[in-house]
Amino acid sequence: MERKVFIEPVARVEGHGGIEVFVEGNKVKEVKIDIFEGPRLMEELVRGKLPEEAVSITSRICAICFLSHRLSDIRAHERALWVEPSEKTKLLRKLAHYGEMIESHSLHYYLLALPDYLGYPDAISMMKAFPKEVKGALELKKYGNRVMEIVAGRRVHGENMRIGGFGALPSDEDLDWIATMAHSLIPEIERGLALWAKIEIPDYMEEKTTFASVWPEDGSYGFAADTIKISDGTELPADEYKTLTNEYVAPHSFAKRCRYKGKPYTVGALARMLLMSERLDGEAKKWFKKYYNERWWKNPHYNNIAQAIELLFCLEKIPALVEAIKKADYYEAGPSRQSGSGTGLVEAPRGLLIHHYEIEEGRVKDSDFVIPTTQNLDDMEKYIRIAAQNLIDQGAEELELPLEMIMRAYDPCISCSVHLVRVRR
Amino acid sequence: MAKPKIGIYGLTGCAGDQLNILNCEDELLKIFDIFEIKSFVMASSAADEESSLDVAFVEGSVSTEKDLEHLKEIRKKAKILVAIGHCAVYGGVQAMFMGQEWEKMYRRVYGKKNAVTLTKPLPPKPLAAYVKVDAVLPGCPIEKEPFLKLAGLLAKGVIPRHPDFPVCAECKWKENECLLLKGEICLGPLTNSGCGAICPSLNIPCIGCWGPIEKENWEAEAFLLKEKGFSTGDIVKRFSIFGGQERAEKLKKFLESKEG
Repeated sequence: MERKVFIEPVARVEGHGGIEVFVEGNKVKEVKIDIFEGPRLMEELVRGKLPEEAVSITSRICAICFLSHRLSDIRAHERALWVEPSEKTKLLRKLAHYGEMIESHSLHYYLLALPDYLGYPDAISMMKAFPKEVKGALELKKYGNRVMEIVAGRRVHGENMRIGGFGALPSDEDLDWIATMAHSLIPEIERGLALWAKIEIPDYMEEKTTFASVWPEDGSYGFAADTIKISDGTELPADEYKTLTNEYVAPHSFAKRCRYKGKPYTVGALARMLLMSERLDGEAKKWFKKYYNERWWKNPHYNNIAQAIELLFCLEKIPALVEAIKKADYYEAGPSRQSGSGTGLVEAPRGLLIHHYEIEEGRVKDSDFVIPTTQNLDDMEKYIRIAAQNLIDQGAEELELPLEMIMRAYDPCISCSVHLVRVRR
Repeated sequence: MAKPKIGIYGLTGCAGDQLNILNCEDELLKIFDIFEIKSFVMASSAADEESSLDVAFVEGSVSTEKDLEHLKEIRKKAKILVAIGHCAVYGGVQAMFMGQEWEKMYRRVYGKKNAVTLTKPLPPKPLAAYVKVDAVLPGCPIEKEPFLKLAGLLAKGVIPRHPDFPVCAECKWKENECLLLKGEICLGPLTNSGCGAICPSLNIPCIGCWGPIEKENWEAEAFLLKEKGFSTGDIVKRFSIFGGQERAEKLKKFLESKEG
């Protein structure tokens, strides 16, 4: 008997994708994650443009993590052109980055992922049973958006963060509001964290994998660096990112795929937390210790709780960060050269993001963008294959929801992952 | 009165317009209350694709055969089709290059024409290139206030027109110092209003992300920029980012004819 499970579109993700599972008798023959989102040829769009034009164009790769794209793009240009931004610029970027993490994680953890585990089609339907949690999620999301609006100019595609500085600096009143609100929202996220204890985490896909994330040089748990850390102990300088990513094209997807040493790997909140847990402190560390177990290394569902812990981490860090920003000096930094190459590494909410540029005479000559979801696709397919086989062996009737939940746990960003394909010849 | 039935859909793009609908945190529950939401795949897995719709909101550009099929299905079942966001209204940044240029670029990125067999890629185009569009809300991305206004009017059965004055007017109302006169390539005079002149208010020149207004006077702006010392190449490039290839070529010919 042949059977084909086809889930399309996958709901509650950003962008348009599908899952195809081919089953023969009782054996899963093939699993494919189809990426339908059309090509946008971003690397071609920035060719010949000025660096600041490239920054505005590439932030359009994605809406939900536009800010990470922008930061990664700015970092790459600043490294290529030897721009040394002021302390205040660096700290404000960090604050904006926390804002994006809060907005994106609260949207994904509460509104896109939790409905699955609690048995609802969406968050609005959860309102009756979990009114405080859903309202709290919307408050957190709104706060993250407001932080981005204040620092980066808009909730989506804000233009205020520039190469070398800012268009305009936020006022002290706005910064104080950000600090006060961060403190007052901590109970909201703790309520959300407590919810996780009620959830039984499925185990039908478990297998160890490799993880990768940024590795901040200052020893902190962070979202930007010039070094990549891999769970086999390897540390790579930013410019050697291709040792990790090794991209290739698959015919069923406009998004490219990545393999490290021939094997799939995972990036995202789970990777960050597993690689940098020693660097956590405060309440975030307590919650990590409460929920952590060995299964985190082999089960992508834990990415959801890792995101929730990061939400708390960001809220806890913001008040001191705001104080440091207010004290720091600001200047607008310019380029020290007009030609060169540079790599910008940051963590988007859904994982390691890499922008690379070659600039010649102040114009973009070449570029390369490696996206978190691109890196996660092969591991997603692997886990879906294992889950499908185990579920069939157990005689499960329904495959669709459990498989979709695995894909959703990765918080995939399909818009991002597309058009970022390049064939090397 | 029965609640209007709506669907919110995305073709190829960054999903930023749907995201900015979800970003109406204070109004989201109300939106779900006023309308009967039949499909909003980005937010819910409870979709009813059989039902007819009073209003369909569609974001994204038509960039594959599959996008096109999907758009035609939506058009068939919707009384009113609203294009939301720059990609749906103008084609998005991906519509910067067309025709042979686009095919060359596609081959450079994907290697050969048929490297991806899933669905046929198409040069990115706005919705109106293929189907009748009843109303538009431009913006990269759309903003919350204009969206809520649009949704409110549609709920009352009114099909609104996007106002045809430029960002430049909004900027004057804010009494900002003019960046164009300061010698920056600011596209405020040529770009649809609706954003509230956010960027010029932050001392950042407008890059035109709400798309060109209908009655734009691009000749005058191009001349002014030439006077300020910008090269034809740089002006054309900036115009093309959110203005499409056709308009950029017209501009290039115009400037070259004046130079010659």
